[in-house]
Amino acid sequence: MAAVRRRARGALTVTGTVAGNGTGPAADPDSCELAEARGYGLTAGDLRRWEPLTAIQIHWARKHGLSAGEARRWAREGVGARDAVRAARLRMAPEQVRPWAAAGFPPGDAVEAAEAGMTLADAIAWRGAGFILPDAALLVRDGWTLAEAAAARFAGVDRYASAGR
Amino acid sequence: MLSSQRNKLLCETGPGTPMGELLRRYWQPIAGVSEFERQDTKAVRVMGEDLVLYRDREGNYGLVDRHCPHRRADLAYGFTEGRGLRCNYHGWLFDHDGACLHQPFEETRHPEGAFRDKVRIKAYPVAAKAGLLWAYMGPRPAPLLPDWDRFHSRGYKQIAISEIPCNWFQCQENSIDPVHFEWLHDNWSMTLRGTGGPRAPAHTRLGFDEFDYGFVYRRVRTDTTEAHELWTTGRVCLWPNCLYVGHFEWRVPIDDTSTLSVGWFIDELPGDAPFEQERIPCWQAPIRDEKTGRWIDTHVMNQDFVAWVGQGPIADRTLEHLGESDRGVIILRKRMFDEMAAVAAGRDPLGTIRDPAVNDHVYLPIIGGLNRPARGDGPQPFAFLAGQPGEVRGEHEQAWQQCAAAPAAR
Repeated sequence: MAAVRRRARGALTVTGTVAGNGTGPAADPDSCELAEARGYGLTAGDLRRWEPLTAIQIHWARKHGLSAGEARRWAREGVGARDAVRAARLRMAPEQVRPWAAAGFPPGDAVEAAEAGMTLADAIAWRGAGFILPDAALLVRDGWTLAEAAAARFAGVDRYASAGR
Repeated sequence: MLSSQRNKLLCETGPGTPMGELLRRYWQPIAGVSEFERQDTKAVRVMGEDLVLYRDREGNYGLVDRHCPHRRADLAYGFTEGRGLRCNYHGWLFDHDGACLHQPFEETRHPEGAFRDKVRIKAYPVAAKAGLLWAYMGPRPAPLLPDWDRFHSRGYKQIAISEIPCNWFQCQENSIDPVHFEWLHDNWSMTLRGTGGPRAPAHTRLGFDEFDYGFVYRRVRTDTTEAHELWTTGRVCLWPNCLYVGHFEWRVPIDDTSTLSVGWFIDELPGDAPFEQERIPCWQAPIRDEKTGRWIDTHVMNQDFVAWVGQGPIADRTLEHLGESDRGVIILRKRMFDEMAAVAAGRDPLGTIRDPAVNDHVYLPIIGGLNRPARGDGPQPFAFLAGQPGEVRGEHEQAWQQCAAAPAAR
């Protein structure tokens, strides 16, 4: 029994456009948002101050010491609170995700890659071999090379594949 | 894709394994309270350990080793007394803390002796809550048994349990896999029913957030926008082995190739007059169609079971090809690796609650809110699992009629 709300919260992380950046007038939260905010220990005032982040994102950001301003800066780059917290731990700047977005990666992938020590060139190579970034990052952290991973994933498909696929 | 070593880390839950150590830090639902209306003992296997769950005449629940420490007789055939469980072989009696209370012949021969003080049986704490019996198999002190807010909602509640012949983790990966719903439950159902027409609305965007008790997955489909609660609120992959979408589905490892699916369901009732349910029925949901020998595919969770079992007893993740729809699955795996490391380092893992002030109607995000109105056209057929007993359906209908006829409370 889902409902449609009066507005799309968290729109910054969806479209990358400024749907509400905390400087303009904020729409009043609806009853569902308020109930959810209470669940996370937040008030209507918190929702307004953190516009346009959702209650769960506000909760996560506050819990990890990310300010509303920082969270918004990350959101404007298309990075949600979960990835923003990880990025802040790595001392990344929001602008660092732009090359990744320009290369067609979800902006949060820049954080995932940084945690695994992958460059954008690495990520593009892995993507070219058919690995989405989080999958590749986990493999890299485990010490896999791209050649090893590409060979391993086809091990059960074609035993007689020519070398160098 | 994972290495076979990484796959083993996720899948193996026996004593001493990293995942076994992680899962043992949480209370696990293992049976229904109502099952003990008809029996005093029940043999159970949890994370590879063979145990006996019992209720003694004082009302204590106990979970002890399946085998008596005397000569290894099967305590599932033991009998309960005022306090504890007595072995049917030579009469040794054990309580729910594992103490040996009585050894009839030993005490006859050596009344002064205290041999029983030198004998213990493996025993784990058990607690009853929300119609379920929960076991804690980790180091003491145990964290608090979570008091989820949904347990307190007004409605008709029931529990359904099934044994699924595959590893627990492929079941739990389903809890953070939004796109499967479009195919496994919508499009496949339409195919099974032979209904023509267009495919179900397609997913166009996924999002994942984290909170204190797991992850929220969010989705936009061709028939929704970012203003829909499927995106704004989302659904919960409840840490570490549950799905919460207004009802709960726990996936408790029986051993490494079988899983106990424990479903806790609630149906809203009309009106607002107080409704107290004296007992929450617990029933066994079949997964195989006895006539055809195939897996049952008519109900939502049965369809999930078909997918999980189809992945093999333990899914071989060395051969998989993960795509954009699997981002949630990767998030879940990473968090599992992190939390296994946290436990190995001596830390409390994610989501354990130790503060009683926190453990009071603990909030979980829910689409539609916690107190949703009942549908106006009567109790709905149970859509989640095949095999709902007629008596449970009858109780639900009776509760509905009782509430529909009751005067409004306000």
